[in-house]
Amino acid sequence: MAKALYIDYQKCTGCRLCELVCAVKHDGISNPTRSRIKVMKWEAEGLYIPMSCQQCQDAPCLNVCPVKAISRDEELGRVVVDYDVCIGCRSCVAVCPFGAMNFNVIDKKVIKCDLCDGDPQCVRFCDVNALEFVSPDEISIGKKRDAAGRLSKAGREAGVLLAEL
Amino acid sequence: MTTEKDGISTAESLRKTRTYGKFRCHNPTCMERLEPKKGDKTIKCPTCGMEFRVAWVKDGFPRIRGPVWDVNRKIAQDVLEKKLKDKAKEEK
Amino acid sequence: MPLKRKIAYIDLTTGDIEVKPIPIEVRKKFLGGRGLDAYLLYNHTKKGCDPIGPDNTLMVSGGILTATCASATARTHVMAKSPLTGLLGSANMGGFFAPEMAWAGFHHLVIKGKAKHPVYIYIHNGEIEIRDAEGIWGLPVTDAQWAIRDDLGDQEVKSMVCGPAGENLVAYANVMTGIKNSGGRSGMGCVMGSKNLKAVAARGTMDIKIAHPVEALEYNKRFIDQIISAKVNQTQGTLGTPFIWGATNSWGGIRCRNFQYNQCEYADDIEPERIDEICEETMGPYHMTGCFGCQVHCRAQYKITEGPYAGRYDEGPEYTSQGAFGGETDTPRANTVLVGNHLVDQYGMDNLETGSLIAWAMELYEKGILTKKDTDGLDLSFGNDEAVIEMIDRICYRKGFVGDTLAKGGIQASKVFGKDSFQYLIQVKGMSNLHSDERATPALALNIATGSRGSDHLRSRPAIDLYHLPQDVLRRIYSTPIPYDGPLSSEHTEYIGKPWQVFWQENCYMAVDCLGICKYHTTFLGATLPNFEDWPKVLYYNTGLDMTPEEIWMVARRCNMIERLFNLREGLTRNDLEKGDMLNHRYFDEPTRRGAPEVVGRVIEKDKFIKMIDEFYEHKGLDKDGNPKPETLKELDIENEPSHLV
Repeated sequence: MAKALYIDYQKCTGCRLCELVCAVKHDGISNPTRSRIKVMKWEAEGLYIPMSCQQCQDAPCLNVCPVKAISRDEELGRVVVDYDVCIGCRSCVAVCPFGAMNFNVIDKKVIKCDLCDGDPQCVRFCDVNALEFVSPDEISIGKKRDAAGRLSKAGREAGVLLAEL
Repeated sequence: MTTEKDGISTAESLRKTRTYGKFRCHNPTCMERLEPKKGDKTIKCPTCGMEFRVAWVKDGFPRIRGPVWDVNRKIAQDVLEKKLKDKAKEEK
Repeated sequence: MPLKRKIAYIDLTTGDIEVKPIPIEVRKKFLGGRGLDAYLLYNHTKKGCDPIGPDNTLMVSGGILTATCASATARTHVMAKSPLTGLLGSANMGGFFAPEMAWAGFHHLVIKGKAKHPVYIYIHNGEIEIRDAEGIWGLPVTDAQWAIRDDLGDQEVKSMVCGPAGENLVAYANVMTGIKNSGGRSGMGCVMGSKNLKAVAARGTMDIKIAHPVEALEYNKRFIDQIISAKVNQTQGTLGTPFIWGATNSWGGIRCRNFQYNQCEYADDIEPERIDEICEETMGPYHMTGCFGCQVHCRAQYKITEGPYAGRYDEGPEYTSQGAFGGETDTPRANTVLVGNHLVDQYGMDNLETGSLIAWAMELYEKGILTKKDTDGLDLSFGNDEAVIEMIDRICYRKGFVGDTLAKGGIQASKVFGKDSFQYLIQVKGMSNLHSDERATPALALNIATGSRGSDHLRSRPAIDLYHLPQDVLRRIYSTPIPYDGPLSSEHTEYIGKPWQVFWQENCYMAVDCLGICKYHTTFLGATLPNFEDWPKVLYYNTGLDMTPEEIWMVARRCNMIERLFNLREGLTRNDLEKGDMLNHRYFDEPTRRGAPEVVGRVIEKDKFIKMIDEFYEHKGLDKDGNPKPETLKELDIENEPSHLV
């Protein structure tokens, strides 16, 4: 099974290094508007949420594309745009439920995460592991373990409370 | 210089001097390397006698949380008293 | 290319805006950021100009590496003649503003004149607009930023603002960006307020082409690994800067009760781990945040837990807030520090100066120089938490005799308070000292005495002097890129070799400020962090500018000398207690009373200290009076300043 980009936004420090390295890796240019990943922020609450393509199984961008320029690459588990076919109509930008399909106004073309052909630079540079590149089943196992830990702790605390009654 | 790729700089070579799992006594003239055992809450410096509370940044990475106030305060007061006495003697 | 970012001259009186490129020879001489700001300040202000008049010029800039693929280069630098000291005013802050300004096409702004009514400057993709700020004037720091976003209809706009303190011309008002990134020290917010300039807002989507992108990306990875593998940065990333306060207080290097003690005893409630607990309780386990592109993430998030401000969100508190509102005033209570920190962030004033002056006023109150009549009934005793919080408010809004007077800055206030009040004021060049106590550390004392913007730890402090590094390690650090075979001592109480260390650090910090890199990424708190030898590669891969470590060293020396020239022009004389390189007499006369055994009972020995300054001047190429020797100016190629290259 191809690996997937997993974003744990709790861990994000909001530094936006992912945006920088994404743009430099793909275009050799520093400019966050060129980045495929983007950190959305609510500074007044200290909330930082990285948004990127989810590489959907039933991808709305793929379905809506009038010239069939978008396809699934099963090997790398990603949805890719064929720029030789793309007409730049931005239907995919409009339909993406995550806003993860971007339109680059400088080069006038749509851009999206391509997982850096299997070595995502955002993951490589994210020292706090807010971004990870993992097998999709590992994601749920990890979350299950966390949730189970919380449940068992809650269970113990409830037990103590009961015993005190 | 700028195009040479493999050379490492002074700062990079100094990385080897780092030691994990230990910290130095907060007495700046002592600076003894202290190595608390996992989970230790306090440590006494064998060289200078100052005592510190230990906190763990993470496993294997201890740091001094703060002094054991009563112990270190006493040491400071004794030293100050002695120094003041010595000074008074000198002046006599 | 990063070097294509431009410079804009903005005249707020006339509304004229002129945009120019930055010539490559200027870049090679001054790089950018603080260094180029210093050059611009020297060239664009006249001797003796009024710091809060229209003739003072405010420089806003990013470093030469800002917004390139180099980590932690988000620093914004602000410079003008200081309303607090009458000498060099200079402040450096993190956050997200400078990169945004760079993507909007600008690296440097030169702002002069005074607007007729409150305005803000909006920079957007190569264009600059002066906009009305009537509805924003008076708002605290964060509200002002959100109001600007609403005004422009763009939530991605980053702005640099002055708070109410700046509007009220508090002499040490900050410029602020984000929640708590502060260009603190020396009153740059006051300069903004005096120009009726509420904010500079930026939004940019312009390309910055990296000269060698593949190498830049790979080298950045190596650079980051070097930085985050340092223990000091791992601690920093867990506890934030409070860890420095904790360690320093532990051995007795923290001012308490103004200058009466050198340790705040039983300060468990404001220990780094305690502060961290509060952050965790209120913001969860992942409560650290960082500036643009930085992996150290040294800033904690917290909410105030009790009192009238309960529930308010802020970032920090940095160790300066612990010192200012906990140690110096002897109020080591977490809530006081958290609330104090929040208030100065929202008012936009320097926590360090504010706390220091409150502690000074408290000592004056203790000595009877200030009375209850002066304070309008406020009990200004040490240890009174309410008084600390109340005074922050009074200073910002200039309420009451003491509040209004303290807002003028220490030296001006001492002239109003009279009696011996000046004797108790812990300052250099009119700027209050950091909350640290340097009586046991001559190197650090030399640093605060000779800092270009006044008493300051971020201009030349050899902080690693306290680590007692072995001789060979010291030798390796301090003899690159320029050979040094003079003495060096691992002993922090020593006087020998320290002038060279201070000189070296002065150049090191100037270099990072020109490049735009944060000081936590160089030889400041950690001995193994990158410096001169590491920067040429970052510079070359990102900008294409090919410089050797020695050349960067020369740029740093040149820029430091320009700052010196500015200070000399504005009246710096070596032994002047108000405007010179001299410490308050208490450093020489009052021995320390707390801390580790070899810290107790120490003073700075004046004769040795004077010799250190002589030697420091010698390294810098100054004569005994502190004026540059003609051959030094020739060597640094700044014989004919102001030369108006840009």
